[in-house]
Amino acid sequence: MEPTPHYKAYKPKPFTKEQRKDTTLLFGGLTWKHERLIQGAFHNLNYKAEPLPNITRADLDTGKELIDVGACCPTIFTTGNLVNYLKKKKEEEGKEAAVNDYAYFTMGACGPCRFGQYRESYSMALDGIGLRDFRMFFLSQTELNQGDQEGGGLEVNMPLTTGIVWAILIGDLLTDLEFQTRPYEVVPGQTNIVLKECIEIMYQAFKNRPIDKIKGNKWLTLGWHVVSNYFTDALKEVIAKWKTIEVNKAQAKPMVKITGEFWLQTHEGDGNYNIKDWLEKEGAEVIPPPVAVWLDYLMQFPLHALNERKNVDKGTKKKILMLKGMIKMYHWTYNRMRKSLNEMPYEMPSQKTLAELAAPYFNFRLDGGEGHMLIGKALYAYLNNKAHMTCELTPYSCMPNTMSVGAMANVRGKYPELLYAPIEIKGDAEIHALSRCQMILTEAKKRALKEYDEVMKKCNMTPEKLEWIALNAPEYKEASFKVPHNGYAGTGANYITMLSQYKGKLTKTLKKTATVTPKPIAAETVLTEVAATETVTVQEPELTYA
Amino acid sequence: MNIQTLLTPFARKPSKELLSKDRSTVRVGIPKVLNIWNTHQFWIGFLEGIGIKYTNIVFSSNTSEEQSREFGKGRGTVDCCYPVKAMSGHYGELIFGQKKKINVLLSPLIYSMPSSLQGHVVANNTCTRVMAGAENIKSGYMKEKDVFVENQIKYASPYCTLDDRIIVPQQLFDGLKDIFDLTYEETKKAVEIGFNALDTFNKKMQKQSMDILEQCAKTNKPCVLVIARPYHMDTGIGHEIETDLQAHGYPIVWMQYFPTDPTLMNWLFEEDIKEKQIKSPFDISDVWPSSYSSNTNEILWAAKIAARFPWITCVIRLSSYECGMDQPTFTPTQKIVENSGTLFFKFGDLDSTKPSGSVRIRVETIVHYVKKNSASIIEKKLARMKTQWPPVKAEALV
Repeated sequence: MEPTPHYKAYKPKPFTKEQRKDTTLLFGGLTWKHERLIQGAFHNLNYKAEPLPNITRADLDTGKELIDVGACCPTIFTTGNLVNYLKKKKEEEGKEAAVNDYAYFTMGACGPCRFGQYRESYSMALDGIGLRDFRMFFLSQTELNQGDQEGGGLEVNMPLTTGIVWAILIGDLLTDLEFQTRPYEVVPGQTNIVLKECIEIMYQAFKNRPIDKIKGNKWLTLGWHVVSNYFTDALKEVIAKWKTIEVNKAQAKPMVKITGEFWLQTHEGDGNYNIKDWLEKEGAEVIPPPVAVWLDYLMQFPLHALNERKNVDKGTKKKILMLKGMIKMYHWTYNRMRKSLNEMPYEMPSQKTLAELAAPYFNFRLDGGEGHMLIGKALYAYLNNKAHMTCELTPYSCMPNTMSVGAMANVRGKYPELLYAPIEIKGDAEIHALSRCQMILTEAKKRALKEYDEVMKKCNMTPEKLEWIALNAPEYKEASFKVPHNGYAGTGANYITMLSQYKGKLTKTLKKTATVTPKPIAAETVLTEVAATETVTVQEPELTYA
Repeated sequence: MNIQTLLTPFARKPSKELLSKDRSTVRVGIPKVLNIWNTHQFWIGFLEGIGIKYTNIVFSSNTSEEQSREFGKGRGTVDCCYPVKAMSGHYGELIFGQKKKINVLLSPLIYSMPSSLQGHVVANNTCTRVMAGAENIKSGYMKEKDVFVENQIKYASPYCTLDDRIIVPQQLFDGLKDIFDLTYEETKKAVEIGFNALDTFNKKMQKQSMDILEQCAKTNKPCVLVIARPYHMDTGIGHEIETDLQAHGYPIVWMQYFPTDPTLMNWLFEEDIKEKQIKSPFDISDVWPSSYSSNTNEILWAAKIAARFPWITCVIRLSSYECGMDQPTFTPTQKIVENSGTLFFKFGDLDSTKPSGSVRIRVETIVHYVKKNSASIIEKKLARMKTQWPPVKAEALV
């Protein structure tokens, strides 16, 4: 009898150039917005591409059945998600079509964390459903130009990589707009409708990217993305559309900063109990975590490694300069796109600042997961009054996150006022997780309300005056108007401070115009009275807080 | 022409004082946890290299429930795997449990490990919890008040990449210069002494394993391979399960000290190399392409060894409670071993308590199967080999 052959790991069959036109590339792991834009980048390069359906609870159950016990919940969810999709395709189109007409494309290189070992879980799951011949490609998340994958069907080159990175950045920027607007929208549901339209505008921009004109030279391709106005012009179209959403930002809402494990913090769906949506329904404004910060973080590691070797290897200093240049260019690009959106999306925090803040508690060289960033982000938000509370989403049995959550005990010892909610997410214990979050949120609400009331008093502001300003300056009710950070955590408090500054200017303007044409500025009696007596009675508010 | 030779006469020579500060009275405590278990010789060598007396290097005792109860109670900050959680007790023992107080508590952040697979795998990183464990445990001793300061202990936690020897002196100099008042030159020298000590120790251990394997081959007797992480050698983490087996007369080989002798390696893997499945005996890409993690890589490599070496008829796999790095390896490791017909037994979710009764029953079961099947396993595995192992061949010729 022939002995059993030695065990071999999963190895995908080649994906050839000829197969490209008939093969749909599957991908996922981000939000529907990011994925739609990435799809545009794929379509631009004539790939058939489709994001996997959004994660559901059923994916967790499927994943649990098929992979080794004890996996972290992102692994279970994403594995189950792929498997359920393939099962469906197998039923609808047959096994052969499921295997040959689709391929999966994901980032699979990480390092110390299990994220780098998803491959084994996926292949085990494929074995479990009898689709071992299905093709999966795991790419490095730190290289821009990885060349042809086996068979040449998938070319991970500069046009594809820049397309994906730009799609991620723009996805982040639009997500920031979304979360800054929806809690304050006057017409419920309007933000989501406009958001969809804006994503479609940007999808078309990615799909119609004039890549043919610039293809061929990788540096030229990168340069075009950095300096051309192609995407910034499209973003200006987006902000023009965004302007149509009416908002009322004179509300006391707790600002909740979301941090945590990459997949879980980015996700919007059952995978994290729809926690962002839940927080909004509970009356909070959510600060979503941009993928852009994660990419920035990843770029720091080769920099640290090069810095360590600069006295050992030749040519290291040149590489350091190049990498620093790349990082600066990355920030410049992000900020340029922010400017196209009236600078509404949040600025990326400096990685150096985050590392310095976290330094007494967590060494910045310890990577795997988010490392020191979780501590740095929580402290950054607290010390700069950017949020009332931080909600850290930790997957059940996540290895790196548990370490930083542990180190946070020391931070909380030093800063007992810091509101911090580390939420462990298993995927099937929603009530427990949300009630835990609600306990901290209640305190955050109290703080937001107190802050808002204090600002109203300080600025000598009343609801009537607010209404008066709104009538005289309708641009403040447009969602595209940026509320500057005036030192308060809450948007409402910052908004009131801004209005009080504005009110003084407006009063002076009215004084001038009143001598020529003393007409009322609104039909309502109260407001007419306010306007008619404004030059006499309304004092410019004293600004006690700058 | 080397310009340095011209400049040397004008260069300022380091004073003797800088190179040899008296540190003979400094007592250094090291928590005997995690990857200290297979790098301890480096740390001993290093500390001796900077002038710490051997008798002043204090390791905490093996992990135990008593240690956790007495010294680690209330210091935990988060629920995680048992080997990291147990660190609290080790810290406490060094801070509060020493008759002669320590001056420095040294708990390095070991990012990567020296490994015999180095150069054949993607990376040699340590587990993310293991590398950051010290930061987590430290917070338990600082959250309310700084226990280290209160006890006049300097806490030292240098970051180091032990797989990249050339930059270790700079890393340890950066991390320890203020603690021990070091110069770069003496740090560099001490690092060299440390690595020499580690290499010497590893070679000695590999030689002992080689003697066992040769003996088994010559007498055609089975042996048992332990596949586990280094800290499972801690009697409070691995619970001496392999010792119970050894008591039944089966020699035990730990994967960390499996010999890397070229003749043996070529004998085991020559067919795989010929078939271009792998490029070298230390290449594990055929079974584990995501080879980032040092201990995980070695686990997969050891499973391949077990699948090929005829006289290893049984594998004992040890895994701790909530070990995230072990989790994705469970099925591949078992399949690698069992596909060859070798017996595979896993002791999973090990934590603070040794379940003595069930361990005894399982050990008896293992012994039963090893006794019953070893001869046929050896025969089948030998039949797979195209040639005889040279030491056995040489013995036959004699």
